[in-house]
Amino acid sequence: MPGDHRRIRGPEESQPPQLYAADEDEAPAARDPTRLRPVYARAGLLSQAKGSAYLEAGGTKVLCAVSGPRQAEGSERGSGPAGAGGEAPAALRGRLLCDFRRAPFAGRRRRAPPGGGEERELALALQEALEPAVRLGRYPRAQLEVSALLLEDGGSALAAALTAAALALADAGVEMYDLVVGCGLSRTPEPAPTWLLDPTRLEEEHAAAGLTVALMPVLNQVAGLLGSGEGGPTESWAEAVRLGLEGCQRLYPVLQQCLVRAARRRGAAAPS
Amino acid sequence: MASVALSEAEKVYIVHGVQEDLRVDGRGCEDYRCVEVETDVVSNTSGSARVKLGHTDILVGVKAEMGTPKLEKPNEGYLEFFVDCSANATPEFEGRGGDDLGTEIANTLYRIFNNKSSVDLKSLCISPREHCWILYVDVLLLECGGNLFDTICIAVKAALFNTRIPRVRVLEDEEGSKDIELSDDPYDCIRLSVENVPCIVTLCKIGYRHVVDATLQEEACSLASLLVSVTSTGVVTCMRKVGKGSLDPESIFEMMETGKRVGKVLHASLQSVLHKEESLGPKRPKVGFLG
Repeated sequence: MPGDHRRIRGPEESQPPQLYAADEDEAPAARDPTRLRPVYARAGLLSQAKGSAYLEAGGTKVLCAVSGPRQAEGSERGSGPAGAGGEAPAALRGRLLCDFRRAPFAGRRRRAPPGGGEERELALALQEALEPAVRLGRYPRAQLEVSALLLEDGGSALAAALTAAALALADAGVEMYDLVVGCGLSRTPEPAPTWLLDPTRLEEEHAAAGLTVALMPVLNQVAGLLGSGEGGPTESWAEAVRLGLEGCQRLYPVLQQCLVRAARRRGAAAPS
Repeated sequence: MASVALSEAEKVYIVHGVQEDLRVDGRGCEDYRCVEVETDVVSNTSGSARVKLGHTDILVGVKAEMGTPKLEKPNEGYLEFFVDCSANATPEFEGRGGDDLGTEIANTLYRIFNNKSSVDLKSLCISPREHCWILYVDVLLLECGGNLFDTICIAVKAALFNTRIPRVRVLEDEEGSKDIELSDDPYDCIRLSVENVPCIVTLCKIGYRHVVDATLQEEACSLASLLVSVTSTGVVTCMRKVGKGSLDPESIFEMMETGKRVGKVLHASLQSVLHKEESLGPKRPKVGFLG
């Protein structure tokens, strides 16, 4: 892989030894398709960020930080029809800038930090899923920066990043309509294709199709949807979306408790 | 995308019209605008196509080059997509303005073609682990009139249908050194089968209903859209929610069904147009950019 030749003296191209290993036919073990891995969530752990959250689900570890609202660069002065609820006109609405980064050691192969297309795509997916939930009209001419860092990819990375980002935004005190909860799914290949909720990395690698759904649980609105692969007919995808939405609803109480605990911790620390 | 300034009254007019299944230009909610497809417009490419859908104009060129296959898939060639939003389309795309949109469209195309059944990549292999064909698909946005994704996918499918890859043989010497030999006959080439290449159908949610093939004005009234990529047999290969708003789960299921229905009709008409154009042979009148 092209490396930084000034700092690292090494061969031009380097590969991990697993590529030359004999085929390890490690098929993922059969399991209950609707099981969710136990989740550990903690909000308010970074001192330098306005809001932050860490989420761990199985082997997936995501850290998310929110900063802002800061003055937006290149904010144009415009006036247009005001939105409902006394919010700023469309030209003055706040912006949400999302950044998704993978640590170089997150996956099986080392990936140098400018990850290229995939990270931009996931950052765009994050932004499209978080925008319906954040009241951007209350932050005119300002921008909120959300940056998600994937420390280890153990399956359903985008879903974990979405959930962590929503927790971080809530921890930062940003006005939101509702939390956003993300859930990943993957479809086992033929024969007998079934949709599995919250796949591990091994299940994702062997999958024929993958899907991530983001739900706003109280409003029951789908905030984000991204899926691709050989998923079969529309009925199969509809069933997957339903399964994902159910998974999101089951995850919601854990996140509520996490935010309550973080608020209590902040409250206990403040008076001193 | 290109934005258009609409007053509140115009937005209300469009939304109320859509509720009654009547759009501003008289179409129904599931009707496409008139599509013009022409292949083989650029002579320096292995395959090209130009598609005009209302005011949206897309030009796609495919160039086939030889290279080394990827390490994880030594028996297959691959496709590389690049989307260029030229400043002709809207003034917003001047300089680096169109880069974000270009990357978004390219990433969506990668996602759609990311599965085994879309294009037969094994036919692009020349010799395993050493040589394979890489198809560079370059998309040029000439004019933006709403509904970019659908048009681009139709153009890519037409360009891949038109692609002619020269037949190549690998000869081995006595010493073991390999030599590539190009066939002498310029018409001896391999064609790709585009039967399973999917088409994108973008469904924009306006009010309580969804519309297919939205114009710029209709896109300005819609907060959220669902992008579905459907093959000719009704198999969905990619799904994505686009836009700032959120969607109701029930409307997602309805939109998927509509997408599948509309997609099948789109595929059937595109296949018939492409085959008809090809059957006219080299004597067909070329319209190009003058028509």
